[in-house]
Amino acid sequence: MQTDALLHLNLNYRGGVSRRNFLQAAALGIGGSSLLSQFRLHAEDLKKEGRSCILLWLAGAPSQMETWDPKPGTPNGGETKKIQTQTSGVEIAHYWPKIAAAMNEIAVIRAMTGKEAAHERGTYHLHTGHRMLGIEKFPHFGSVVARELGDPQSDIPNFVSIGQTLSSGFLGVQVAPFIIDRPGMLPDNVTNTTPDLRQRRRLALLSQQEHEFAQAGAAALVKEQSELYQKANLMMTSPRLKAFQFDDEPAAMQEAYGKSQTGQGLLVARRLVEAGVPFVEVRSTGWDMHSSVFSSMTRRAPEVDQGLSQLLLDLKQRGLLEKTLVLCMGEFGRTPKINARSPAPGRDHWVRNFNLLMAGAGIKGGQVIGKTDDNGQEIIEDPVQVDDLFRSMCKAMRMDADMELHTPVGRPVRLVDGGAVINGLFG
Amino acid sequence: MLKRRSSSQWIILVALFCLIISVTSSAAPKKKAAPKTPPLNLPPLKTQEQKMQLLGYIRQTMPTRRIAQRINFSSADLDQALEQELGPATEELAQTIDDETFIRRASLDLTGQLPAPEKIEAFIKDQSRGKRSALIDELLESPAYGRKWARYWTSVIFYESEANKRRVDPQALEDWLAEQFNKGAPWDYITVMLISATPERNKAVRNDYGQDFGPNNFVLACENKSTELASQTARIFMGISIKCAECHDHPFDNWKREQFHELAAFFHPYTYKMPDQDDPKIQTAVQPRFLLGEKPHEKMKSDARRVSIAAFLAYNPKNYWFARAYVNRIWSELIGDGFYDVDSLGPDSEVIHKPVVNRIAANFRYKDFDPKWVFRLIMNSRIYQREMRTSSSAADLFTAVRPSRLRPDVIADSVENLIGEDQSVRKEIMQTFDMNPSLPQDGLEGSIQQALLMMNNQQLQEKLSQSGLKQQLLKMSSNTELVQSLFLHVLARHATEPELERNLSYLRESEKREEAVDDLLWVLLNSTEFRTKR
Repeated sequence: MQTDALLHLNLNYRGGVSRRNFLQAAALGIGGSSLLSQFRLHAEDLKKEGRSCILLWLAGAPSQMETWDPKPGTPNGGETKKIQTQTSGVEIAHYWPKIAAAMNEIAVIRAMTGKEAAHERGTYHLHTGHRMLGIEKFPHFGSVVARELGDPQSDIPNFVSIGQTLSSGFLGVQVAPFIIDRPGMLPDNVTNTTPDLRQRRRLALLSQQEHEFAQAGAAALVKEQSELYQKANLMMTSPRLKAFQFDDEPAAMQEAYGKSQTGQGLLVARRLVEAGVPFVEVRSTGWDMHSSVFSSMTRRAPEVDQGLSQLLLDLKQRGLLEKTLVLCMGEFGRTPKINARSPAPGRDHWVRNFNLLMAGAGIKGGQVIGKTDDNGQEIIEDPVQVDDLFRSMCKAMRMDADMELHTPVGRPVRLVDGGAVINGLFG
Repeated sequence: MLKRRSSSQWIILVALFCLIISVTSSAAPKKKAAPKTPPLNLPPLKTQEQKMQLLGYIRQTMPTRRIAQRINFSSADLDQALEQELGPATEELAQTIDDETFIRRASLDLTGQLPAPEKIEAFIKDQSRGKRSALIDELLESPAYGRKWARYWTSVIFYESEANKRRVDPQALEDWLAEQFNKGAPWDYITVMLISATPERNKAVRNDYGQDFGPNNFVLACENKSTELASQTARIFMGISIKCAECHDHPFDNWKREQFHELAAFFHPYTYKMPDQDDPKIQTAVQPRFLLGEKPHEKMKSDARRVSIAAFLAYNPKNYWFARAYVNRIWSELIGDGFYDVDSLGPDSEVIHKPVVNRIAANFRYKDFDPKWVFRLIMNSRIYQREMRTSSSAADLFTAVRPSRLRPDVIADSVENLIGEDQSVRKEIMQTFDMNPSLPQDGLEGSIQQALLMMNNQQLQEKLSQSGLKQQLLKMSSNTELVQSLFLHVLARHATEPELERNLSYLRESEKREEAVDDLLWVLLNSTEFRTKR
């Protein structure tokens, strides 16, 4: 019983034991000081070296033929041309000149294959690694990263999303995404207007008030709210808050990322990663191109092209790329056959084959994994399942893909249920 | 004159509807060649009045109307039915709430507003036996009742809508719904008005898609797309999730892909074509068919088809989903847990305590879908009047009422109740506390932003500090009176003995009384209770 409790202690990436776990252990009658010294011995082995992940989510499912797997000259190819990249032999669609110039850092996964062709379900699958089947709400991968690699005492959230995203599911509010809409600005209402001492008196009184409401039957709600208030209070006084704000960021850098929401979002992501936040998601919208796919691509691609290529360059120059996993993907792909919609044709939902980009965190850049046939309808080499992708993400983050998560009713579920690390992805 | 001539045609049409319903819902399909379809000579169905008139005729033939006069299902019957279902779990039944908890709970549920201190005092003093029941009746007659539920349903319709904001008008929908609820319009009328709306674009005016007319906004929220209308109709008015069947057979329910597209065909202005699963360029024409197999008359035009789908939805007694979806939503909002998740039921999913919800639903139908009847039934029951507790398992579900997060508009109202009207604070609360009205309470989460807003929002704090309430409190010479008044205004109840003592000592120990009052206000504003229905 006691050994079990010990095994479940969470070590954060600095090698410390979280206070809550420590208190639980203490409650079980284990000597606090000897416990801590025991764990410090192993801490070095267990350090995750401050790994981080930036997920650039292209909401709506981008077309694989107009991104990293163009098929010009075929009946399905449409108006899209291909261009040569920095890596010889690797060609991508012509909407992406800057990504092409950064290709040596990037691994293109061309043979993703999924199971969900509806937005909500696909988004869930590619964010949690699980299909939306039972009643359990699986956590966003970012929430798992926040729990495993984040410091539980952190004074800013361990998971930030620029734009709406999925929730932390059954992992609860401790690791829920902190959502901001306006990149570059301090989050709303973080400035405390009450003097410190008085604020503490207020909070003490509040805590007593809360205690009684919990006793009256609202324990679950009170517990959640207390956790949120604790986090909010830490955040208000955090020196790391300035990571949200561009005040000290040179104008040239802001220009380099592009003034778009996506570009500025990626710049905040880099700043947050620098400040030690282990997971940041940046949302780009407008990729559901049922009609006018070619003209829409001309409009939507440049923001991502500029922001993402600059992010890779910037991370590399700061020595952060080797510890930061960068992902660029959407929920599925689009039909290779061009439809007949008005005013101009587009492509519909397609999950049999799609593609995505991975970079950093030990991933070997300048390579393409997987191949589709000339019509873009079938995978002919090295298909990658969603499980394989998540296993590879775990490896990049130095996380155990087989770890067990516990649902509210105590049912253990594996973080990734099957699959294998993508062959050849890591150098 | 025109009306008179058309009435005979109406009757033919009604007969036709009944025929369709009875044929499709009873007899097994015969292999014989289909008989020639009789010609359809429909009167115009352009205006809402005409549609409602048609619905009225169909409604009169409802098979359940005659039963309604004989059957009675009271709150006591409901209690008995549920307790029978609960079995051994009845030992877990929570205590009955006291009067001040009741008046707060009932007021929040029916009007979204806290009862005023004088009302609370008067209610406690009232000695009459039927006072809780009388309060429910009184609240149901207040304009705030319609407003509260109009806001709820507007959110249900718009929460996940992807329609262009300039082409819809949620406010117009809310206003219209409020009017309907307040005048006691039956749920089937409201439904048919929403589903059968045919908004028309006025090209002469920029962005005029007919959104000014409230009932048009359900169709506009679905961007008038056949597939979206089909899945939203099933979700909102039947509590069934069939959206996934758009692309493939539903993974864990009985819905077939074809059924989804047949439902979508109802909403198509002309001939609906189902895209091939593998190659979307191959399209097959699909005939409209409702989920239980009912087909509209072949020659029926689009407007009439939309009325007919509403008729199939509401008046085929075999479609128990329609009445049950409404009942389950209201029950979930009132009790905190539903018999099933409000919009994700498949025919095979488990419904907890099914006999109970089915009986309420059947009686809702007998009562001509009167929304107020459902509120009266549930709120007068012992189930509704129990103390709060978060249920930990399905076994003890409904043995207590779950403490529920208040909806954003309710929190905004509660705050404005303290600081006076404030558009910017209201807007921020509405955004920060927004929640999906179709998720069960245990699927909802608070956020750090909510805590930050209540703690630090400058405008909110300033206004609170300058509020009439604070001035009023400061004028009180007795601290006990001050604390009690504070609790009554902010939490709509008296302070308990320990609360009173604690707050009194805080006041005593503070150097500045004014600052201390600010602090006490701040604490209650930030308490979980302030944003919870207990």
